[in-house]
Amino acid sequence: MAGGVPLLLEWCNRISATSLSTVIRESDWWFNIIETVHVIFTTLMVGTILVVDLRLLGIVLCREPASRVVQAVVPWTWAGLAIMGTSGLLLFISEAAQAYDNVAFRIKLVLLLAAGVNALLFHTTIYRAVGEWDTRLPTPGRARTAGALSVALWTAVIVCGRTIAYFH
Amino acid sequence: MKRMISLVTIALSLTGASLALSSAAHAHHSFSAEFDGTKPVRITGTLSRIEWTNPHSYFYLQVLGRNGQVTTWACEGGGPGALSRRGFKRGDVKLGDTLVVDGYLAKDGSHFLDAQRVKLPDGRIVAGGSPGDGGPQDKPRDNSAASAPSSTD
Amino acid sequence: MSLLSVFRWLADSQLSTAIANSHYAFAVIEMVHLMGLTLLGGAVIVTDLTALGLISLKQEIGEIQRDLSPVAAVGLAMLLISGFFMLADGPLRYYGNAAFRLKMLLLVVAALFYFSVHRRALSVAPGARPRGKIRLAALTSLTLWFGVALAGRAIGVL
Repeated sequence: MAGGVPLLLEWCNRISATSLSTVIRESDWWFNIIETVHVIFTTLMVGTILVVDLRLLGIVLCREPASRVVQAVVPWTWAGLAIMGTSGLLLFISEAAQAYDNVAFRIKLVLLLAAGVNALLFHTTIYRAVGEWDTRLPTPGRARTAGALSVALWTAVIVCGRTIAYFH
Repeated sequence: MKRMISLVTIALSLTGASLALSSAAHAHHSFSAEFDGTKPVRITGTLSRIEWTNPHSYFYLQVLGRNGQVTTWACEGGGPGALSRRGFKRGDVKLGDTLVVDGYLAKDGSHFLDAQRVKLPDGRIVAGGSPGDGGPQDKPRDNSAASAPSSTD
Repeated sequence: MSLLSVFRWLADSQLSTAIANSHYAFAVIEMVHLMGLTLLGGAVIVTDLTALGLISLKQEIGEIQRDLSPVAAVGLAMLLISGFFMLADGPLRYYGNAAFRLKMLLLVVAALFYFSVHRRALSVAPGARPRGKIRLAALTSLTLWFGVALAGRAIGVL
């Protein structure tokens, strides 16, 4: 630690000082374009996740086997994640020093992690046995829980994302 | 029908969740929540600092009050793109320049303005605000709502 | 009764004052708008990607479209209601805004298209394969809705 400044803050300050960060932060167009991509492609990533969640909750596409819905939609969720991750990273880089202090940003990162863990747990446990409940309604309790939790977590992620601007 | 009820329930829950989570945030990013649209003010000062950043630019003026005291005022403007499209480019001002800013006062009484009009050193007047904040760039063609700003010290 | 006078009436309403004076109303309204966007977007994207043959599901496209249509409708309702409240916060700010006007125009076109032409095109008899019309409807839908979203972003940016 240099002079009592936390390493993470030091890191964020360094990132803010880079030319990439400065170029985006002071740009005429780039910041707006990157932010627009980030907001609009939320529909691709979270929208597809929500459709899967709604299937797990037995609300849509009920005549479609659950595994079919997951397999069909997941590649697009990954594509959405790639776009959201890249645009999100660039936005973070453009204001890293500010992001360090931003409560909403920190909570958003925690929620993203939680959403990821929820998805991972679902896929490695109850989803492994999907052959048994693929066409059965209602879906198993643990599948419904994972779905409901996913809806709640991603809603919270979006809310936190928007709240970041309020703590500037 | 049952599905519709479930969907509406989810929609209401999402709405409720939004309410719970966002009521903690001061909605200072809405013009009306942060600035008083009925209190137009005008300040004249020398530029002591400028942050030409996204999503908002910030310029700080040293304003000489009637009592001889100098106070620092912060003005929030649109991002670099929005400003340069209105003719206000980065090179147009430098530290030490005198600017006249018309804007709306922050509701919490602090020395913070949402800049609407900026008079540059070369005499040009440009729209300084963010699009959608009610500034000159948003005014309807019928301008009867406009009122002259008053000076403040 | 001109459009401007309607906007003026809304600007003078108690609703407008209540939202403008509230510390958190606008934040909540924006959140609902974003959630509605995600619901509508998700339903439209999955439906149209299936129609384009980029997503492969067991059911016919007509059934999938019928199934996801309520999700799109609920999302759209959330967007319209929250959008109205956003407008009420300061109607005269938006009246002169070119991006706002464009967004409203595209919104009407997109919504009308999606719940009529698009619905008819996708509701083909099981087994029938007039893929060209279905693909065109899906592409048009995606383009129109994307345009609405883009115009929405332009309101606060351009």
